[in-house]
Amino acid sequence: MTTPLRTVRRTLVLLLLVWFALPLAPLVLWASSDTWRGASPLPQEWGVQAFTASLGDGVTSALLGSLAIGVVVAALATPAGAMAARALRLGTLKRPRLVASLLLAPVALPPFAVVMGLDVVLLRLHVPAALGVVLVLTVAALPYTTYLMRAAYVAYDFDYEDEARTLGASDLAIWWRVRLPLLAPGIAGATFLAFLVGWSDYIVTLLVGGGRLVTLPILIASTASGTGSEPRVAALSIAALAPPTVALALAALLRHRLLSARPHTTGKPKAPSPVHAVTLPRGAT
Amino acid sequence: MSARLELRGLSREYGGSVAPALSDLHLTVPAGSCTAVVGPSGSGKTTVLRLTSGLDRPDSGDVLVDGQSVLAVAPEQRGMAMVFQRPLLFPHRNVLDNVAFSALVRGVSRRHARAEAAEYLALVHLSDLARRHPTELSGGQAQRVALARALAARPRVLLLDEPFSALDAPLAQEMHELVREVRYAVNPTIVLVTHDQAEAAALSDRVAVLSAGRLMQHDELDRIYNRPASLVVARQMGGRNEIPGIVHGHHHRSALGNLRLPVDVRPRQGAGVLVFRHEAVHVTDTADSGADAIGTVTALRPVGARRLLTVEVVPVAATPERGCSVLVHAETPPGHRATVGDQVGLRLSPHALAVVPPDAADGTAAVGVTPFPPRTRRRSKTAGRPRATGRELRTPP
Repeated sequence: MTTPLRTVRRTLVLLLLVWFALPLAPLVLWASSDTWRGASPLPQEWGVQAFTASLGDGVTSALLGSLAIGVVVAALATPAGAMAARALRLGTLKRPRLVASLLLAPVALPPFAVVMGLDVVLLRLHVPAALGVVLVLTVAALPYTTYLMRAAYVAYDFDYEDEARTLGASDLAIWWRVRLPLLAPGIAGATFLAFLVGWSDYIVTLLVGGGRLVTLPILIASTASGTGSEPRVAALSIAALAPPTVALALAALLRHRLLSARPHTTGKPKAPSPVHAVTLPRGAT
Repeated sequence: MSARLELRGLSREYGGSVAPALSDLHLTVPAGSCTAVVGPSGSGKTTVLRLTSGLDRPDSGDVLVDGQSVLAVAPEQRGMAMVFQRPLLFPHRNVLDNVAFSALVRGVSRRHARAEAAEYLALVHLSDLARRHPTELSGGQAQRVALARALAARPRVLLLDEPFSALDAPLAQEMHELVREVRYAVNPTIVLVTHDQAEAAALSDRVAVLSAGRLMQHDELDRIYNRPASLVVARQMGGRNEIPGIVHGHHHRSALGNLRLPVDVRPRQGAGVLVFRHEAVHVTDTADSGADAIGTVTALRPVGARRLLTVEVVPVAATPERGCSVLVHAETPPGHRATVGDQVGLRLSPHALAVVPPDAADGTAAVGVTPFPPRTRRRSKTAGRPRATGRELRTPP
């Protein structure tokens, strides 16, 4: 790449980073301020009072609640999305376009209207609040997991499975030793998105949960409306942001390390070794 | 390791296609032998392998290994490894672990599977690439690893689906040499699918020619080349010479004269097409008293170090039996100096002559015939004169 192009690219990357980081700056400032009054551009006193106060607000239980919902939604929506994507890719469905439209419908429909309707149905069916939240959020996450897994399946070569089968692999061995590793990047992406749907949800948890389920978004909203304390709201927001951000960073680091650990050669591959003596006797196998 | 493979009346039809992909195929491959299935694209070659391996089910027919039907046996339990056109090395495993795959899925410990895989990598001369990633291999190396991986599965029958078609010629020849080594070392039963008759000739003991899902001929290499059962087989095996004429007694009468056929050729009386290999035509000069025909060179094409000559032979008098002029193709050795417009003599190897039924309704072959001598070509006064009309070719006893 030529130098001017490289400079333009680096500038764009930097601008994007600023674009993403800028909204977080006030959060960090508010959360780490003990006193911030008037028109001062920075807090007068720095500290961790907001974080310690949040612990008393029940942040731990809310965090665990969000985590549980995120994990369960990811655990349900990812395999469901993978199966739907596989069926769509293999063309085994009778009306693939209709099925694809139904799977993507939760994204197109206004969530508030859907959830209000579903809430009534779930109440009449006496479905427990936690189960109702998880079920609705799984449906909400399904379009994302299906879409990501469809993209993964487009790049997936089913001939690998045929090859594995002729090498003696059973269905289970193919799933474990071929399909899962080859689809791993897509599965990881789908899992992460499904987790985020559960982790960051507010509307479904509020309406279907009926206020009995306290998650981080619920706690943040109630703290913001109840106390009006910007430092505490900012501290809770950072608590909500941190786990997925850290998980994403760790995944990126792990991927980078795995790729770096792989032997890398540049240029032409080496020529085959000189002819060796055939080591196997005739009919040895 | 090797087993006798028998395909009995295999048929397969895919929805949406007019003709069946495979129709009533009977084929027997003796244990330890190599049969090449040759045919053009869409002739059903790959279908044969998929039905044999169990990756697809036939509509009717049976697959037998050592006399036992394996139709109800799952592909992973049939003991048939397959090497595809693409190496399909698992990208998440290094070379050694790719080769160790079959042992791992058999339940062998990783250490033993790798030790076993190392032996097969040595067999394909790639021991020093064991730790490489598949993306770091050249096309030829990757296909060698694929072959080692298939052999490591200890198949009773090894199925090769055009495995060398994506390689350039020198690399493909290296792979042919490797397959010969492997055959010597482990003696597997091999079914090789290829569209390349030269590859079939280089690797196989017997050749099965498929066309439009039907088996046209299954025979030894020499007979497939020199005794084709039909024009389709002759063409598929790269035959170029098709001389229409009439079979009368044990002779073929055409623009080339009255040629006596080898004793083992027993054609139907009446219209028949004389076929012979271009390699079996010896180009001499017009003064050669032993020449079977004389013609004019109308085209030249280099084929490696050799050249392919197209020679137009015109009969002295056009009769219904002799027809009009015919084109004879001949391959000349390096150093032959004939040019377009030259008069040359042609000697036909008597053993190489065969007669097949005409494939067109009018009894003429579809190619190799010019109904009238082209006007634009130079021709001397003696052009196209058969050396001795009605002369009989010497035939082996």
